[in-house]
Amino acid sequence: MTAVDEHEGAAPDPHGGGAGASPATASSPAERPGRGNPWRPSLKGIALATRIELLRRRPSPKGRIFYGAAVGSVLVLSGVVAWQASGDLTSTPLELTLILALAAGMLIGPSLSATSINGDSTEGVLAPLQMTRLTAGDLALGKLLAAWAYSLAVLVTTVPVLAYAFSRSGWTVGELAIVLAAIVLAVLVATAIGLAWSALAARAVASVSLAHLTTAFLLVGTLLVYFFIQPLLPSVTQTVTNRWPAFETDEQWQNPEEFIDEVECIEDSWTYTSPRTELAAWILLLNPAVMLAETAPVIDPLTWEEDGRAAPGAFSGIHQAVGSARLGPEEARSYDECAAIASGGIDVGGDSWAQRQQESALMERSPWLGLAVQALLLAGSLVIAIRRLRVPYRTLRGGTRVA
Amino acid sequence: MGDGAEPAVQARDVARAFGDVQAVAAASLEVRRGTVTALIGPNGCGKTTLMLMLAGLLRPDSGEIRVEGADPRTDAAAVRDAIGWMPDQLGTWDNVTCAQTLALVGRAYGLARAQARERAATLLDLVHLGEFADRPARVLSRGQKQRLSLARALVNDPAVVLLDEPANGLDPRSRVELRHLVRDLAAHGRAVLISSHVLSELDEMVDDAVFMSKGRTLGDEVAQEVARARARYRIGSMDDAALAADLRAARVEVDDRDGLVVSLSGEEEAAAALAWMIGQGHRIHRFAPAGSALEQTYMAMEEERR
Repeated sequence: MTAVDEHEGAAPDPHGGGAGASPATASSPAERPGRGNPWRPSLKGIALATRIELLRRRPSPKGRIFYGAAVGSVLVLSGVVAWQASGDLTSTPLELTLILALAAGMLIGPSLSATSINGDSTEGVLAPLQMTRLTAGDLALGKLLAAWAYSLAVLVTTVPVLAYAFSRSGWTVGELAIVLAAIVLAVLVATAIGLAWSALAARAVASVSLAHLTTAFLLVGTLLVYFFIQPLLPSVTQTVTNRWPAFETDEQWQNPEEFIDEVECIEDSWTYTSPRTELAAWILLLNPAVMLAETAPVIDPLTWEEDGRAAPGAFSGIHQAVGSARLGPEEARSYDECAAIASGGIDVGGDSWAQRQQESALMERSPWLGLAVQALLLAGSLVIAIRRLRVPYRTLRGGTRVA
Repeated sequence: MGDGAEPAVQARDVARAFGDVQAVAAASLEVRRGTVTALIGPNGCGKTTLMLMLAGLLRPDSGEIRVEGADPRTDAAAVRDAIGWMPDQLGTWDNVTCAQTLALVGRAYGLARAQARERAATLLDLVHLGEFADRPARVLSRGQKQRLSLARALVNDPAVVLLDEPANGLDPRSRVELRHLVRDLAAHGRAVLISSHVLSELDEMVDDAVFMSKGRTLGDEVAQEVARARARYRIGSMDDAALAADLRAARVEVDDRDGLVVSLSGEEEAAAALAWMIGQGHRIHRFAPAGSALEQTYMAMEEERR
């Protein structure tokens, strides 16, 4: 039967009028909500569902101890790093605090959300809410927002350290705001994935571990795929020919210009192949951590001091590594020392390494692919959660009852 | 009572399978407004599944359901709104207070804040949990949670009340109160469907009974069996043997295997019979319906199936 779906479009806001029948009489048809079986969330419904979730998932004393420990370790680690860091400007404490807040959020959020549908069902408190006018959309978003709010608690409590670390990071407020937004989004998506697993898996143990596995796959799995895919990539073969004078005596070494014409020039060349990493670099961009680093400010590894920046930190390190992968194999560099000595120069092309570094580091920031993946995961997770929360159930999670 | 009016709940040939387990094969029943109907059957016969389908939580594979005229297939929201469902599984928000629990559910049904709070207080008093209003639900005993669950089912002032094993875990006093409450719900025009294993208790509060076995509701023959069972009276006298002889002499069929039991056509005949026996000089110390009619029917039904 598809009749349910035909009606839902016409359904007015289920939280609108017709609130309560008088206590003594049975409600008359006029006071009922609209026809059909609405699933769409409403602001009021989401707010109520979120409030219910926040209330009932208030941390217990043990939970508060856990939160305290998480916050404490973030504060201590960041504090120590901030204190240890020398120099005027350093972005390391800020980056560390951000990374720890992200890690805490990505652990806590999915842990909470991954038990919030199947856990409620096991406890027998899901169906009574499904009987009310709260829609599947209200319940899904309420559960998501509540778990998300709790998972951001660590980030919020690190604000003092964050503020101090920021003050000597060389970042602008705008740059910090963008990275914070990316962190908050990454935590939201991880939480949504947990919610989807909770809607799919019958038991909380399964959904919690699947949620963390998904996060781990995105963070570590993408890196592994990127590295193990390298042998399969097309490669470029390049030949390097190095030439250098066959000096033997100390005298010759000390006065190369004088003897360069007298000694033989040794030539050595070899061929090597390198995979065309630029074809696989997009895999790295799927990674939420890379996405985050791609939103961080670009630091020039050569001119950061004049630019009023701190030395390149973790985020720009990631950006540079990813940038190098995106650029693909470096062009082969041959050294002709004989020619260099003859022309009076000491170092021919010696700066090319640094130039390559700079080129990689200054690659345009590209968080877009990562953001698209996050958006897709968020939308997909919500669709799964909402579909699975709609009653009347067509199918149940395997081996469960309605409750 | 529902004379001629369309029943509040109608189900016809409803079926539902979970995988290859046919939980409900063919269930039909009607619940009229202002009456209490019992749903009776052994464990695993599909009572809870049937109730879930009536409540609009589970989609039947086939068959027709109407609740207050609405079809859960197309108008599930209207069906759920008309229903107060008390699940067989006890579930409470452990760290939320009783008053808050009911108020939040009230809000979820669209009541305004003040209205929801008021409703919560009224319902807590109704189920005698007033003193626990500000205590978290985790301090409640099993029976108290059961009563909170009952109150929760009534938050939306439902036209149809589905109670799945509501007497489980209740102490004797609470059971009596439950009985009064259920009769009261019916007296206010609600249709009540109640499942329970405590059959002697149902006896005193239900108007109709639907028996279920292996996913099927059983038809009229069972209803007749109930009516027959209802008319059996147990008599205790100071000299049972003499009474039995007198009764047989008066051509009354007497079952004396376990005390004296006679079949009477109804209350009128029962009153007359008692007067006659006392008039005959018998010293009667006990005269009452014999056990639970529903229980007897249940047992008879079970025996048939073996």
